[in-house]
Parts: sequence; structure tokens; C-alpha cells
Amino acid sequence: MRMDGFKAIAIVAVLVVFAVFAGMLVIYFTNAVPAFHRFGIDVYLKNIWNAAEEPSREAYGIAAAIWGSFYTSLIAVLIVLPLSISYSIFVVDYAPKRLKNVIIILSDVMGGLPTIIYGIWGAFVLVPLLRDYVMQFLYDHLSFIPVFSYPPITGYSYLSAGILLAIMVTPFASAIIREAYEMIPYTYREAAYALGATKYEATKLLIGYIKPAILSGFILAFGRAIGETVAVSLVIGNTFNLTWKLFAPGYTISSLIANQFGNAFIYEYMTPVLYAAGVALFIIGLGINIIGLRFIRRWEENVKL
Amino acid sequence: MSSFEVRKQKERLFLMGIGSLTFLALLPLFHIIATVFRNGLPVIIKEGLNFLTGTFSNGGIGPAIIGTFTLTFLASLLGLPIAFLVGLYAYEFPRSTVGRWTKMLLQIMIEFPTILVGVFVMQVLVVPMGTYSAFAGALALAIILMPYVAIYTHEAMREIPFTYREAGYSLGLTRIKVLLKILAPMTKRGIFTGVLIGVAKVAGETAPLLFTAGGLYESYPSSVTKPIGSISLLIYQLVQSPSPADHEMAWGASLILLIVFLGIFIPIRLSLKEVKL
Repeated sequence: MRMDGFKAIAIVAVLVVFAVFAGMLVIYFTNAVPAFHRFGIDVYLKNIWNAAEEPSREAYGIAAAIWGSFYTSLIAVLIVLPLSISYSIFVVDYAPKRLKNVIIILSDVMGGLPTIIYGIWGAFVLVPLLRDYVMQFLYDHLSFIPVFSYPPITGYSYLSAGILLAIMVTPFASAIIREAYEMIPYTYREAAYALGATKYEATKLLIGYIKPAILSGFILAFGRAIGETVAVSLVIGNTFNLTWKLFAPGYTISSLIANQFGNAFIYEYMTPVLYAAGVALFIIGLGINIIGLRFIRRWEENVKL
Repeated sequence: MSSFEVRKQKERLFLMGIGSLTFLALLPLFHIIATVFRNGLPVIIKEGLNFLTGTFSNGGIGPAIIGTFTLTFLASLLGLPIAFLVGLYAYEFPRSTVGRWTKMLLQIMIEFPTILVGVFVMQVLVVPMGTYSAFAGALALAIILMPYVAIYTHEAMREIPFTYREAGYSLGLTRIKVLLKILAPMTKRGIFTGVLIGVAKVAGETAPLLFTAGGLYESYPSSVTKPIGSISLLIYQLVQSPSPADHEMAWGASLILLIVFLGIFIPIRLSLKEVKL
């Protein structure tokens, strides 16, 4: 293609963006190298956090944080699943036009709300609420089930983080699923009605058409949840704790970075380990988002009705 | 009961189920807004105008408010020109390899964990400079702002029928003239929406500022190479403090942040049909 004024300027901007992204990769990997040298793959596989003045006694393994990131995001996505599908069906099929607009606007406001506001609400309102009314009850009556067997003393826990994340990413997954659901041509619905189907039966049929979009909505929601930092770090309790127990405090990769980076420079190996944590988050985030985008693109290209 | 009755019953149950789940999904929003007003308003009323202008030890969050606006402004200054160009590039060359990669990269960047951007900027800017600075914070925010604006620019341009471009070219205009004189004015609204959404987003960001902006609450910011505060960063620090007085300040600051956010977001949201989050 011929070079012209626009292309010459715009390509510079594009290169700057690519350079920033590549620079991020390079910075994370190079700064993590000392950690890989010292601890090898154990930095990801072990759950240990010994900060010591002498470098020889330092030992770190962030398995608990990686586990926490996946576990909280999984809890979140499991809650998001029924909420966002119901939301999409209700908005598209049932809500009158006025109500529909109001609901969509509210959901968008929720999706854009600064995360720190979720954080302060989560720490001061949601956590005590869950502790007093949900966790205590489950612990008192069902603590023979292993996941409920941790005493909810503070309430800062995997469960609190998962629920807060669910609240935060529901609007996001809802928007993706609603858009896909709205795209199904009305004639399909009419065909279902013509066969004598009730609205419920028609919906059951039509939801099948947008399965790939639903899947990509959840993958992308999972990716959002895993990258969220401040709100999670205010409710998760920030403790190294590799466990299934829902009421136990934990860590996520991003909250670990947010929490420890400030004083990491005192220790020789803590900063590299946190960069290694960054590498993990980088790769997980990139992988999940690429898979999610793939799915949605494939749906848009091939299955689009 | 006939089978038709059973089906009717199922229909009713289904509607009740999804209706209540939808309500449940939106319920937290009302609770959050109500709680922030209930806890924040008394603090602001007690301190009066001083809350908006005073320094932190005088019971105000003035420097943080100025900090948020400064950071957002600087981030726009750094990020917007690049965002427009990148968005236009992705629109102009959608089939070229670079064009496709650019679009993919934008979509990845929009979903990227923001804390990683903050740590990156810390390493390349804060460490060499030896100090937290407004410039570092703004750069981190600019990296987050960029993909939003670029994607909106791209989407807005795509909605214009191809014939307008053809008309421009047939008049003998160059590509840059067609883009800037014909297409850009037609998409003003869409691009402007993208800018506002991006700005609303970065104005509330916290994680990228943790290791870049540094925080400054006892005096007003004076230079872009010195540390600066922000409302969201201040809230984050106050929530972690054990003192109830700090918590009160945090609620007050949250109310201000909420009002700033809603003040930008609601008008744009009402003025258009769809937004991409």
C-alpha cells in the first residue's frame, strides 16, 4: 500500500502502543528472572512466604495467591451465571420498553462505577452482613461440610471476595449476553409461537442459539474478575491460605501485588517474586481474554443469525 | 389439571424466577448508592465547604479532588491523540496484518488487569526518577484510557456508509483530508462519547495509581514531577486505616467520587443508545 501522510503518522502511534505492550512483557519477565533463578518453578507451586533480612533465609511461593485468584473468580462466575442469563431474558423478552431502558441504564452505571466504591461498600457493609447473616448461620448448622468449616471470625474471606466480584462483573457479562440474545431474529420466536409454544418454551429454545456468546461472556467475566485489585484486596483478608474453605481469608495475585509491593524493596528477593506474580497474572489474563475474544468472534462470524 | 394449565403455571414460575433474579442483580447498586449517601452526606455537611477545599488535617479532601482532575486531564492529554490515531488506523486498514493485530491488541488492553499497568509504569518511570509523580500516574491512566477511546473511534467510523469516502476520494482528496474533513466531523458524537466513557473510567481508577502517584493530601499539587493524590487512592488508604475518623472521611470522599462519576456518566448514557463497558 502507498505511504501517505496519514499512514506515516498513524503507524507511529500504533507502534507506540505495541511498544508499550511489548515493553510490559519485557519488564515483567526481566525483573522476575532473579526469582526464577533462585526458586525455580517452586515460586508458583509452593505456598510459603518467609520475608527475612538475610537473602539466604528468604523463601517465597505464591501458590496460595494463584489459587485465590482462580477460586474467587470461579465463585464470582458461578453467581454471575444465573443472574446475567435471567437479566438478559427478562430485559429482552418480558420488560416493557420503558422498564427495559431503565434496567439497561442501571446496569451500565453499575458496570462503570469506580471499583473503589465497591471496595468501601464491600469492606464496611457487605462483609459484616455476610458474616453475621450468612457465614455464621452456615457455620453453626452445616460446619460438618468441609467448605463451611472455617470459623467466620472477621468475615474477610474467599466468599466475600467472590460475591463482591460477582456483583461487579454481572453487568459486564449481562451486556454481552443481552446483545447476543437481542440479535436473534424475531421470526424464530414467531415460528416457536406458531407451533403453540409458551414464552418460556420459546425462550428455552432460543437460548440454545447463543450458547457460544454465553460462554464467551463468562470467560471474559472471569478475566475481569481475576484482574480486579483494590475492591478484592479490601475484602479478602490478605492471608496466605491455600484452602477450599469459603470463610477463610486468602490472597489473590493482584491483591498480593497491591499489598506487598510498597515494602518489597527492603528484601532482596521479594520484588522479583512479585514480578513473577505479575508474569503469572499477565499470562493468565492474556490467555483468558484471547480465548474469550476468539469465542465471541467465532460466534459473530459463523453463527450470527 | 390439564397439561395446558401446567404449562401456563410453568410460564408464571419462570417469569417470577427471572424477574426476581434480575432485581437481585441490580439490588446492590441501590444499596451502594444509598449507603454512600447515608454515610457520606453527614460528613460533608459537618465539614461544609471546607471538605471540598481544605487539606486533610483540616478535615478536607481538596488536594485529592484537584489531584483526580489533574491526573485525568494529563492522562487525556497523553492518551487521546494516540488513541484517535490508533482507532483511525484500525478503521482504515482493517484487512492489513497490522490493522488486525491492532484491533486485537486494543481488545486485550481494555480487559487487561490495571494493577499490571501501574507496576510497569513504576518500573520505567518512578524508579529512574526516584520519586512518585503526577506524570507517572497520568501515564498509567493514559495507557488504560487509550483502548476505550480507540475502540469507540473505530466503531463510530465504521457506522458511516462507504459512499462518503468514495465521494471524498472522487473529489481528489487525500486520505488524511477524507478522514479529518469528511469522516471525523460526522462521527464527532460517537468519538466524544468514547472520550467521556474513558475519562469516567480513569477518573475512578485506583490500582494503577498505587505505585505511581504516591499520594498528596496535606498540600495542593504544584508540579507534574512531584507526588499527587487522588480521591480513589485516598479512599483506599483510609479504608485500611483502623481509625473510625478516617473511615468517616473515606465515606465523604466516596460520595464526592460517586457524584463526579454519575455527573459524567449519566448524561452521556442518557444521550445515546448503547455503551460498551
